[in-house]
Amino acid sequence: MTRLTMRQYRYQLFAWMAVYVALMLLEWPQVRHVESLPLKVVLALLPVLPMIAVLWLIARRVMSSDELEQRLYLLALSVATGILCALSLIGGFLAASHVIELGGDVLIWVFPLLSLCYGASHRWVSRRYGYSSCE
Amino acid sequence: MKNRLPQLRDKHGWSQGDLAERLEVSRQTVNAIETGKYDPSLPLAFRIAKLFRLSIETIFEPGKD
Repeated sequence: MTRLTMRQYRYQLFAWMAVYVALMLLEWPQVRHVESLPLKVVLALLPVLPMIAVLWLIARRVMSSDELEQRLYLLALSVATGILCALSLIGGFLAASHVIELGGDVLIWVFPLLSLCYGASHRWVSRRYGYSSCE
Repeated sequence: MKNRLPQLRDKHGWSQGDLAERLEVSRQTVNAIETGKYDPSLPLAFRIAKLFRLSIETIFEPGKD
C-alpha cells in the first residue's frame, strides 16, 4: 500500500472534516423539520459518510506505516480506548442511578472524544521513542 | 540493545533519511533504532543486515538487560 506522507494525510483529513462541518452546519439543522421518515434517516446519517472516509483514511495510514509507527498507533489507541471505557462506565453508572441524565445523542461524542484521547496519548507514547508525531 | 547503525550509515555516506528510504521505514524509526529507543523486529533486522551485507550479530549486540 502506498505510504501516505503526513502532509497528504493532513490535507485529506482536513478536506473530509470540512465536508463534515459543512454538513453539520447546513444540512443537519433541517433534519428535525423534515416529515418524511426515509428522508429524515438519509439526512440524519449523511454526516456519517465523511467520518467513514476519515476512518478509511486512518486505516490507510496505519496499514502503510512501518513497524514502530504501528506499535505507536496501537499503544496510543489502547490508552485512548482505556480512557474512553472508563469515562463510559462512569457516565453509564451515573446515568443508570439517575444522578445525571444522558440522552442518546451523547453517543455522537464518542468518536471525537476517542480522537482527542488518541491524539494526546499518541504524543505521549511517541515521546518515549524520541518520535515526533508532526513529521 | 546496542548497534553499529550510525557508524555503518556514515561509512556509506547515507543520511538517516537515505537509510530509511532503503529500508522502507520512516526516518524517525531509523533514529529510534540508532539511539537504542527501539529494537527492530527480526525481519527488519535481517533487512538491515542484508543491506549492509553483514550478519545481524555484527550490527546488533545485546544490552545488559
